Amino acid sequence: MTESQPADEIPTRTTITDPLTNAFGSLNDLAPDLASLQDLATRGSWRSVLDKVSRARTASVSLLTQPHHHLTYLSYNTLALMKLRRFDEAAQELDSLEDFDSSSYKYESYPHIYPNRTGSMVPFALRWLYVVVPVKLGNRQEGLDRFYMLLGFVRDKLRQKGEANLEVSVNCWKKREIFVINCLIGLHLSNKEFTVCLNLINELISLDALDPISLSKLGYIQMQIGDLEGAKTSFNRVEEISKEGDVDVGFRNLVNRNKALMYLVGKDYVSAVREYEECIERDYTDFVAINNKALCLMYLRDLSDSIKVMENALERVPTVALNETLVVNLCSMYELAYVNHSEIKRTLSSWIAKVAPDDFDSSCTRI
Amino acid sequence: MSTTPGTHSLAFRVMRLCRPSIHVEPPLRLDPMDLFVGEDIFDDPIASSNLPPLISTTDSSNSSDLTFSSRFLLHHPSDSIGLSGLLVLPQAFGAIYLGETFCSYISINNSSNFEVRDVVIKAEIQTERQRILLLDTSKSAVESIRAGGRYDFIVEHDVKELGAHTLVCTALYSDGDGERKYLPQFFKFIVSNPLSVRTKVRVVKEITFLEACIENHTKSNLYMDQVEFEPSPNWSATMLKADEHLSDNSSQSRQIFKPPVLIKSGGGIHNYLYQLRMSATDSAPVKVQGSNILGKFQITWRTNLGEPGRLQTQQILGTPITSKDIELHVVEIPPVIRVNKPFSLLLKLTNQTDTEQGPFEIWLSENDSYGEKVVMINGLQIMVLPRLEAFASTDFRLNLVATKLGVQRITGITVFDKREKKTYDPLPDLEVCDLCYVAFTFGFRNTIMLDIPTWFSWIWIDIIGLVLISYAEAAFAFGEVFVNRAIS
Repeated sequence: MTESQPADEIPTRTTITDPLTNAFGSLNDLAPDLASLQDLATRGSWRSVLDKVSRARTASVSLLTQPHHHLTYLSYNTLALMKLRRFDEAAQELDSLEDFDSSSYKYESYPHIYPNRTGSMVPFALRWLYVVVPVKLGNRQEGLDRFYMLLGFVRDKLRQKGEANLEVSVNCWKKREIFVINCLIGLHLSNKEFTVCLNLINELISLDALDPISLSKLGYIQMQIGDLEGAKTSFNRVEEISKEGDVDVGFRNLVNRNKALMYLVGKDYVSAVREYEECIERDYTDFVAINNKALCLMYLRDLSDSIKVMENALERVPTVALNETLVVNLCSMYELAYVNHSEIKRTLSSWIAKVAPDDFDSSCTRI
Repeated sequence: MSTTPGTHSLAFRVMRLCRPSIHVEPPLRLDPMDLFVGEDIFDDPIASSNLPPLISTTDSSNSSDLTFSSRFLLHHPSDSIGLSGLLVLPQAFGAIYLGETFCSYISINNSSNFEVRDVVIKAEIQTERQRILLLDTSKSAVESIRAGGRYDFIVEHDVKELGAHTLVCTALYSDGDGERKYLPQFFKFIVSNPLSVRTKVRVVKEITFLEACIENHTKSNLYMDQVEFEPSPNWSATMLKADEHLSDNSSQSRQIFKPPVLIKSGGGIHNYLYQLRMSATDSAPVKVQGSNILGKFQITWRTNLGEPGRLQTQQILGTPITSKDIELHVVEIPPVIRVNKPFSLLLKLTNQTDTEQGPFEIWLSENDSYGEKVVMINGLQIMVLPRLEAFASTDFRLNLVATKLGVQRITGITVFDKREKKTYDPLPDLEVCDLCYVAFTFGFRNTIMLDIPTWFSWIWIDIIGLVLISYAEAAFAFGEVFVNRAIS
């Protein structure tokens, strides 16, 4: 009917404001029981997600009536399998699909269900999962190739949407472009391919030079390489930006944490601890500050206090502190502090089993 | 005191405390929008206006969130990198290299049910060559360690030797029964060579170039913080760098980012180039027999979180300078050399020894490699020079003639010491340019045959000829590039 209408002009049709036929009133309008699926996912109950998807698929009266319902459910299912480290099964799920660009996945193939809608109904998450799976299966080169192809695909979409003046779409695909680049940085960084990382992160910074978080990450990469002068320059830039306006707690803590790292590399652990304490006082859920403070205490020969800091965090704010790296550090501390460390690690392990989400990798306790 | 048999109340726990690392783990986190709806849904104008408000109400990213949503949802795009700044302790002893600092957390635990008293703790590093004391509490022994208690210390040692090292921890204590016990514990590790430095020295004219290739033998990428060449006193050095690539990064990012010199692990290399000049010398350069010491390298590298390592190379040697007893060199060559016309070369013979040398004979040696000799001695083929006193020199002229045009070599000027019966190496070849203009003048008149009044024609021909000849002579004298070069 009105396909040539620009995206930002809201057509004056009564059906939009009518709550009975509003297609976007709640999550459940997007797909059956989506709110429940999302809730399970945020709680980390991935086994329940698998259950729910399985029941929806095998129900005698299927909930999944529209084509895109199946895709949404498949996305959650694949993600759940990945979270549970069942990568082979995740790969099989993806294999059950046709080619992403198939007409079966296009809105225009079902005009009676999706009037006036064109384009792909494939959730972008599926394209991304398809790219990540080979990496998790140990085929890094294949994953890398797929990632770069995905980047090319996203950039093509960006161009198309730009040419068609679809502003909201353009913003959406821009976010996806940045997402893919960040994933690539992570992938290269895991393999210590530092030069590529530095190039990619500089590309991101050139798009938004005032992004303190990306600038800080540049600093972390430089620090990890050993380029302390470079890291200092990056952190100074972040601090300058923080002085230029209102900053929230998160940003202020970021600045303190960066300062703490600079003290740490200069072996001034006392000052580093002070910076971290300032962060924790402002935000008791700042688990990065908590973890790093504990490490500094250890470098100050205070193993007992470092253990206390970690254990307190797990008790007080388990949903943020229950992080595999934090647990790895705590277990290293236990191994140093106790000759018979297996007992205390077992205690920790059983506590984790009760509290942790399904995707928590309990091999980090090294029992 | 030998090790006391039986169970010990105390035990050492040791952990290498090199710097922590910043943890990297790309997470499985995404934007919920990418899960809820199809990727092209925002092309639909209705969806694009209704969806964003819906999504923002489901976003729960405030700090009071008690779910594990941050393990699933992105708060900031760079969360996908998996680099939150979380530090992780070293998970294994790892490799240790020459030039690094060995740092270790040592905890002595009392795992018994009784207190132990008067604990004397010692920590030493034992290598093939020496025993280095790191800690000794004998002057102020630890009074007691309660049951289940601990005494901790951190030791540091700059690693300066290769090969096997042992960290020896000993404790001398009185156990629950008052018995004095001795507990030694040994922790071995091997120190390897992190780098190799290969150098090449080349001399071009008076400039010495030093090329150094640094190869990384470690398991990590090395950030080259400082690579400095310290020249020996009579040299000065400048590092030569390639022109920086002008990338099309915005100037803003270029301010922040300067590409670091990073040498890859397990065999990566990086090359450095230095230009060395002999510092201003006084009247005569003192030539030292034998080696020519250029200087040495000071190298500082860094690994994770700036963990430093430092090494110094051995002295780098340049091309050896051999001193000659008798030195012969050319002082003056005539600016214009004409073919078939004799010319003289001014030479200087110097006696560099502290005793009288000579008498000498100078000649042009037969040198087959260039075929027929073009430049020859005009006159007596052997020139005789009298004895030279210690450190004295004498100037003399060698009368030569060139038999061909163009660029020619004067080869094989040889000095022979008549008393010692010793022939010295001939002087390096000289290139000279032989000119000719003579034949032109006389030939010109005879070749012209014109049917014009005789008196008129000859005068004009002569005038034209002279003009042409003068022009030619001028061209030859000033236009031609005169080449006199010693071929080394």
